[in-house]
Amino acid sequence: MSEATMPAMAVDLGGIKMGNPINTASGTYGQGWQFEGFYDVGLLGAITTKGCSAEPWEGNPQPRMTDVFGGMMNSVGLQNPGVRSFVEECGEYLAHLQERGCQVICQVAGHSVGEYVRAVELFEELAPWAAGLEINISCPNIAQGGCAMGSTPEGASEVIAAVRPRTKRPLLVKMAPERVVEVARALEAAGADALTVINSIPAMAIDVHTRRSKLSRPTGGLSGPVLHNIALRMVWEAHRAVSLPICGVGGITSGEDAAEFILAGATAVSVGSQNLFEPASAPRILDELVDWVASQGVRDVNELIGAVEC
Amino acid sequence: MKIAGIEYPALAPVEAACHRARIAENRIVAEGIMRLTLECADLARALEPGQFVNVAVGGEPRQLARIPLSFVATQAQEGLVHIVYALLGPGTRRLARILEGEELDVLGPLGHGWRLDEGAARVLLVSGGTGTVPVYAAAVWCHRHGIAFDAVVGARHRELHWAVDRLRERTSGDVVVTTDDGSLGERGFATGPALRLMGERAYDLVLACGPEPLMQTVSARATELGIPCQVSMERTMACGFGACSTCAVKTTGGMKGACKAGPVFDAREVIW
Ligand SMILES: Cc1cc2nc3c(=O)[nH]c(=O)nc-3n(C[C@H](O)[C@H](O)[C@H](O)COP(=O)(O)O)c2cc1C
Ligand code: FES
Repeated sequence: MSEATMPAMAVDLGGIKMGNPINTASGTYGQGWQFEGFYDVGLLGAITTKGCSAEPWEGNPQPRMTDVFGGMMNSVGLQNPGVRSFVEECGEYLAHLQERGCQVICQVAGHSVGEYVRAVELFEELAPWAAGLEINISCPNIAQGGCAMGSTPEGASEVIAAVRPRTKRPLLVKMAPERVVEVARALEAAGADALTVINSIPAMAIDVHTRRSKLSRPTGGLSGPVLHNIALRMVWEAHRAVSLPICGVGGITSGEDAAEFILAGATAVSVGSQNLFEPASAPRILDELVDWVASQGVRDVNELIGAVEC
Repeated sequence: MKIAGIEYPALAPVEAACHRARIAENRIVAEGIMRLTLECADLARALEPGQFVNVAVGGEPRQLARIPLSFVATQAQEGLVHIVYALLGPGTRRLARILEGEELDVLGPLGHGWRLDEGAARVLLVSGGTGTVPVYAAAVWCHRHGIAFDAVVGARHRELHWAVDRLRERTSGDVVVTTDDGSLGERGFATGPALRLMGERAYDLVLACGPEPLMQTVSARATELGIPCQVSMERTMACGFGACSTCAVKTTGGMKGACKAGPVFDAREVIW
């Protein structure tokens, strides 16, 4: 594509200035550096790091993953080394990645309001380079916090109202696939800057020979293409309900999937499980998205956000 | 590896790539067990015993993740990688239907393999089920380096024993066979004969791969006897290159990924 026909791809995700709309979904992208052997991660608009809590978490027992129709299920359970070790290990790399033009969004996890606050404080203290923080109130794989707090407007706004005063940086919220319209409105009122829609969907898979769950827990999070059209509907609903920018997530495997999210109202999109199946998928999806924007005869991708005609 | 020109000592992205590999052979060798030979010069040169590759099958909606496969042997000169896999689900059944001459998308080399020492005088290899595949790769290595080994190979029943004759050709030592149903060799798991051999003979290395109770028992005994022991941990894996934490193994050094720090671990390191 020549410079003249290349559409403008920069977007603003609640104060996070992305060079293009491609982000990566937390938990499917390590801390970014794992992909540097496959391509230049600096090409992406943003990355979102694995959910990280104030203290280290071991995560769930094995097995943590199973293949299912149209995707996979996981029950990793937010295994992470805690904010301090996270920053020690890859803070320097992430600060440089930010300088390379890729926005680094750090995901924050907690079991309780107090733990979310503590983790945000630690990120404020130790990770001044982060472009934004994403609060995960929707993990289906932990007993407390996560999904339980993000599934109701009251729970969701309690967490965000508590962390909001602790940071001036853009605050994203990773939403559960539950009561999306009500929760989105509550989050807007509580001071969120952007919404990430959606996390994996609580689901189940059983080995009928052993009569046991295929994961170490009865349920896990479903992700992959099977989610795509559900996530798309939820992005569209959230976009109509609130004026916050939205990052669309769920089963993206191509530029066309990403384009659907943008038409439904997403400002940015995150590639998730596809990163795991096809390590160099994110830059391919970016190229395909650019081609699509150009094919629409617009000069700027922003003209296409929410442009679906229903 | 430098990232955008800078060295980060704590960070090591995998030095693996997605290769297009032509299938030279994909045929049944035992009941529900296939032998797959891939033409890929890069992988044939790079793969070390105990490492693995991650194969995308395509065309099977129940298998979107890649399938991690261990190999039995490589032929660097000929550019061949020999894989043995069991038909365990929709993904491997789909793989079994892909014809010779077609190409596969193969990510590798992946993982840390066996830490093999050319100075070893006598090695004990212990395996159960599909664990025999990476153990076989170690047997090939021992044979090439003139190191004698004994092997204990377990399977559910006699039809599943594809490796025994080939292992016997590669060692002057004993190859003990077990089956769960007694249809070949000793009845029971590989555990019994493995413990017996460790009591009778002096080994300077024990390698094990198979069901966790087998590896746990063998490594506990090896540790008691002061014999270095390595185990190869099987885990379901979504990526194979350290990005998802689905494959975690609990170790004395914290949670580690079977796909990157492993699949082979020092037995003393694993918390069962
Ligand atoms: C292995 C794995 C780990 C995940 N870990 C997290 C996590 O730590 N935090 C989070 O908000 N979402 C996590 N997710 C959910 C993804 O970020 C994403 O929302 C979901 O997978 C849907 O997108 P996809 O269909 O493109 O994968 C994880 C998903 C997978 C597959
Ligand atoms: S399989 Fe993804 S981290 Fe090991």
